[in-house]
Amino acid sequence: MSDGADRRLHPGTIALRFIKEAPQTILALPAAMAFSSKSGLTNALYLAAGLGVVLLALKWLVWRRFKYGVGAAEIVIESGVLNRNRRSIPFGRVQDVDIERTFLARLFGLAKVRIETGAGGKDEGLLDSVSLAEANRLREAVRAGRAGAGPASSTEEVAAGPAARTLFAMDPPRLILFGLFNFSLVYIAGLFALLQTFDRFLPFDIYDPARWVGLVDDYLPARWTFGAVAAVLFVAAALGAVAGMLRTVARDYGFRLSLEGERLRREQGLFTRKEAVISRRRVQLAQVSGGPVRNLFGWSGLSFQTLGAGTDRGGHQSAAPFATRSEIAAVLAEVAPLRLPPPPELVQVSRRHILRKVAGTLVPALAGIAILSYWLPFAPALLALLPLLGVAAALERRFHRYALADDLLFVSRGVWRRRLWLIPLRNVQSLSLSRGPIQRRLGLATLAVDTAGASMINAPRIVDLRGPAAEELAAEISRRRAQASGRKSGTER
Amino acid sequence: MENLTLVPLDRGLLRLMHTRGALAGCFLLAAAAVGEAWVDRLVELPFGLLIGAGILVLLYLAVLAPPRRYRAWAYAMDSDELQVRRGVWTRVQTMVPLDHVQHIDVSQGPLERAFGICSLVLHTAGTLHSQIVLPGLTRATAEGMRDEIRSRMREEPA
Repeated sequence: MSDGADRRLHPGTIALRFIKEAPQTILALPAAMAFSSKSGLTNALYLAAGLGVVLLALKWLVWRRFKYGVGAAEIVIESGVLNRNRRSIPFGRVQDVDIERTFLARLFGLAKVRIETGAGGKDEGLLDSVSLAEANRLREAVRAGRAGAGPASSTEEVAAGPAARTLFAMDPPRLILFGLFNFSLVYIAGLFALLQTFDRFLPFDIYDPARWVGLVDDYLPARWTFGAVAAVLFVAAALGAVAGMLRTVARDYGFRLSLEGERLRREQGLFTRKEAVISRRRVQLAQVSGGPVRNLFGWSGLSFQTLGAGTDRGGHQSAAPFATRSEIAAVLAEVAPLRLPPPPELVQVSRRHILRKVAGTLVPALAGIAILSYWLPFAPALLALLPLLGVAAALERRFHRYALADDLLFVSRGVWRRRLWLIPLRNVQSLSLSRGPIQRRLGLATLAVDTAGASMINAPRIVDLRGPAAEELAAEISRRRAQASGRKSGTER
Repeated sequence: MENLTLVPLDRGLLRLMHTRGALAGCFLLAAAAVGEAWVDRLVELPFGLLIGAGILVLLYLAVLAPPRRYRAWAYAMDSDELQVRRGVWTRVQTMVPLDHVQHIDVSQGPLERAFGICSLVLHTAGTLHSQIVLPGLTRATAEGMRDEIRSRMREEPA
């Protein structure tokens, strides 16, 4: 029919899709019928069987009309039953070949192959699904094709070949430990939701605040002994820990990050085995994340922000979710020019950050107390807590630091969720200095660094630098960045 | 970068801002007039309260606000980067390295055309400010800047 597209997806795909979609399509309509009319269960079953046959035939038709192939310089995908679509993806444009295996797919020995071109679209080249051997063959073929057709810089990929080196892996004990840190209170909230649903069976009204307040006096001597309350809390905490553990094990079981030539490859997952490939050149910046407890024991996580649409959390690719500092340093060493900063190198932002922060939170806090005192006579006593705002602001400043070292910018921020960004200056897309009204009065400025693939909430910002320091830092970043890219593109100009 | 001279935008932008402010103000005034007629049936309000407020807002939007906003805009360009300053309430100063620009637009809306100005839009690979808009340039300036930036752009996004 056409050159190139000479292969079909694995026939098991038909069964896989059928199983996936059957419950909603086949059962929904007859079930609705059985409920609404009195025609009985048998008719509904006939209808379900009929629908099943039609659906199966449709799936077969879709499978029959889907063809793909690997040509000399491109991947060709033909699809569509009525509207025929022929897509060709040149090897040079392929950024990643991801292989994903859901639990169901693993039962059938299948894998989903996603060919990413970084064009921003979601399903640029989706082969759902082929056999695992075929998926690996495709990846090798694309890689070989890229090496042949791609730019000169990719010749080293061929030289490196398939020799993979593990950079980071998590063994089961590490995973269990990680799970303990992933203690999740979401499940306790879930427990409360359950209580709410079944509250008519409970001997008390959970929405009666007087009850809650009075509980301590009335019930403590009687049924609700201190031990009982402690036991309930303990059970809730244990549930949270177990839930967090299960989630972590399911997601990160057998986590492995390895280096193959120019590519980092990550495998993870217990039920759904996921695999992702990150090109080293596409790494825009690294982020080390942690928390007070985690950091106390010397653990933190490492993720990379990559260019283009990733399959994982909007361009943020986890590289080592739970690792020691030296393990992180070892991974970073493979992705030049990233490295960890020596601790004393980072400096704090202006002291006035505390003032600004307090000025920003004081007014809402005062308003809140004023409103509360309308109902609660003891609310003005909350004024005594106001100094805590200052403490919180001071704490925030303590963990908000930055440094410019050679060709890297370091920014750290957050008390509970600690994040450290490592930003190669050559990946800075733009800088902006902003000064709000309060900041102008205090002579402060915020420097935001924009990079490719950054998300709104997770972008590095240096908040409340002294005005001149901010200007100087921005100018210095500009200067060094221009120098670095000038060196790099010197031959092109 | 420090010794760069900041260039103000074309006066056409100021006229455009006045016009836009007047349009928005008139729209609000019309809404206030409708509101006045409607509220009058429900509660007793001093006559002309809403309309009076509407007129004040119109005056602010059309006459008072534009000059300050216009004066807040400025730009500077050297061989490595473009700097744009804007904002009255929150002052923002954005610096874009020219070699990281992905593509450039010169755009002109109907109102802009009436005042003989256009906007230069730089698209970067960054996600926070993927578009840096510089309004209020004459077509000649905008096209000159575009050609200048185009010669600085790198072939491949790094």
